[in-house]
Amino acid sequence: MPITIVKEFCKGCGFCIANCPQKVYELSEEMNKKGYRLPRAVREEDCTECGICDLYCPDFAIILEKTKNKKMRKEKI
Amino acid sequence: MSALGENKEKLHPLVAKYLRRERMPHMACPGCGIGQVVHATLLAIDDLGLTPKDTVWVQGVGCSSRITYSTWIGDNIDAHHGRIFAVATGLKMARPDMNFILFTGDGDCGAIGGNHFIHACRRNLDVTAILFNNGIYGMTGGQVAPTSPLGATTTTTPYGNIEDPFDMCQMAIAAGASYVARWRSTDVKSIANSIKKGIQTKGLAFIEVLLQCPTNFGRYVLKTSNPQEVIKWIKEHTVTQQKAKELSPPELVGKYVIGEFIHRPERTGIVARYQEFLKKYMKE
Amino acid sequence: MASGVKPGRYFVQGDEAIAEGAIAAGCRFFAGYPITPSSETSEAMARRLPEVGGICLQMEDELASIHAVGAASVGGLKAMTISSGPGISLKLEGLGWGIKNEIPYVVVDVQRAGPSNGVATRVGQGDFYTVRYGSAGGNSALIALSPKSTQEAFDLTIECFNLAEIFRCPVFLLTDETVGHTRELLVIPEESELKIVPRRKPTVPPEEFLMYPLDNPTVINYPFPNIGEGYGICVSPYTHTSKGYASTAQEIQEKMAKRLVLKVTANLDKLVRVERQKMEDAEFAVIAYGGNARPAMAAVEMAREKGLKVGFFRPIIVWPFPDEEVLKVAEKVKKILVCELNIDGQLSREVARAAKGQAEVYHLGSGGVEPHLPAQIFNEIRRLYS
Repeated sequence: MPITIVKEFCKGCGFCIANCPQKVYELSEEMNKKGYRLPRAVREEDCTECGICDLYCPDFAIILEKTKNKKMRKEKI
Repeated sequence: MSALGENKEKLHPLVAKYLRRERMPHMACPGCGIGQVVHATLLAIDDLGLTPKDTVWVQGVGCSSRITYSTWIGDNIDAHHGRIFAVATGLKMARPDMNFILFTGDGDCGAIGGNHFIHACRRNLDVTAILFNNGIYGMTGGQVAPTSPLGATTTTTPYGNIEDPFDMCQMAIAAGASYVARWRSTDVKSIANSIKKGIQTKGLAFIEVLLQCPTNFGRYVLKTSNPQEVIKWIKEHTVTQQKAKELSPPELVGKYVIGEFIHRPERTGIVARYQEFLKKYMKE
Repeated sequence: MASGVKPGRYFVQGDEAIAEGAIAAGCRFFAGYPITPSSETSEAMARRLPEVGGICLQMEDELASIHAVGAASVGGLKAMTISSGPGISLKLEGLGWGIKNEIPYVVVDVQRAGPSNGVATRVGQGDFYTVRYGSAGGNSALIALSPKSTQEAFDLTIECFNLAEIFRCPVFLLTDETVGHTRELLVIPEESELKIVPRRKPTVPPEEFLMYPLDNPTVINYPFPNIGEGYGICVSPYTHTSKGYASTAQEIQEKMAKRLVLKVTANLDKLVRVERQKMEDAEFAVIAYGGNARPAMAAVEMAREKGLKVGFFRPIIVWPFPDEEVLKVAEKVKKILVCELNIDGQLSREVARAAKGQAEVYHLGSGGVEPHLPAQIFNEIRRLYS
């Protein structure tokens, strides 16, 4: 799966949730040690691996790894 | 399988390769645009194949500097407030073979550091300077900056700012910098490309980034602490150079023009000239 | 590449001797801003440094110079800047960066009459305390040397560079317009006769090296890695840990303050240099330094001719102040006359403190412009001698 969230780096800014074109992320109830509410990729199957979440996260808390699964992306186009 | 990383030690590849693990997460406020610029910087460094041995991060004082200082795995040289360009001059002249990326802020570069900034541009010092323009003094708690918009309420302009903001890109161009550009924090790829171009250009590369400060600019000037709102405000107030040409001067008031303004790699600077100069005057 | 040492006999100003001393010591970066009466040194460096492959820059202001000099040292070069009173005031913040981060370089103060711009072209001695205590925040020590002649200006400049490397700190050459502008003999020896201390590098790998030895506060001859050497050095104006990471912890602040003070005060044995003339049987001592030293010595000679048992004492390293040596003088004589070119009393205040009441301490001050005339000092000796 392409998305990893580095929990302890997240500061709960919400950029991933607000900017994902596929609305993959939602705010979860889980908190990290600093008390920030973490995002969760609830619709990871809709991810087109555009990379905006990785790029926009100011804290390097999202790692998007391009998978070799092109079928996932092709279906969305 | 849960999309949340189970292994806490899995790090973003750029962090693993270029940043000090013990200094992460960096100390920027939630939603601050500085992290995005750092991301762009690391993309540029990675693309160019720069290493900790040949590249130095130089800072001043302010959020721009405190957040980036000692995060880079190579050398980090943090100067006194406003003296970043003077320090960079000493560093680069001593080690012209190395790359220097400067992280400076509106006060550090445009207020206390104004004079050194102007002369570094005039000398076309071969470094790449990134100005973090958040329109306020963030680190010290929200005072007015030379880049604050007219009318902005800040802690030292509680009744509204009566001064016009400084266009530091125009100053850099007038003083002689070889490459000047302005972007927004959300233009991560453009920033990365500009940084790459700046590093590859001999002479001073000055890249201004308009970035959101939700904590101070957001709360004091825009009355919101939502970083998305600040980003939206920035977007509403920026125009491309193309669009700017279509607007009349009154329409341009309060707008920031973004894009690449100038690229004159043919203009030599003090570093290259001094090398030539030594060839002529050095004895034996 | 030329070594920079030009052995021979020269007839030059103190300012030019400073430039030659710097180059002989290995200085290869100079940044300054013109200010009377120091500009002759800047001009000499501009002529000479390129000959030896060095970098000489006239920066846009005093602040830029000192920051560029500190940075050039971090960049791997021995570096120097020069100014006079008003410019030294401007440089004090930058000096703090060098002190805190243990960066070796040399700052020359060619003192002139003050306060404020004063009389640009004439002598004063009003920066004695400024160089020691002027940089923000205290919690540090400072080394300053003061020459009395052109020859000493050359010799002590080399010594400043050496001490800078040994103690890993900025070192002052505290001179004045009289020494700076007097033309007299300078003998530059063969290069092999000069003792130059090179920069020390770490012998352990980066993961084992601590940039700032906070847990070993008295150590000197400590390595100073520079940028691009693989040590990932962190230099910052803020209080920081041994690795250079900014910290607000009280424990770190305490350690840092102690390191910066003890580094010098625990090694005083290497930092005492004084001159004594006719002190063996003296009952009265005259103390002066820098450009006022030779008039004072001449006055002592005049007094001796009259049968007065007067001796002369001069601190050559003026900071750290030679407390013990001054106390010995005070224990020996009944009265001490301190002759300095300021009215407020600076050297005399230090002498009085160090004397611990063992002798009466008198201040003969002058606003500056001229050094004391020997006759002025002699008259005062005669008035006080009993």
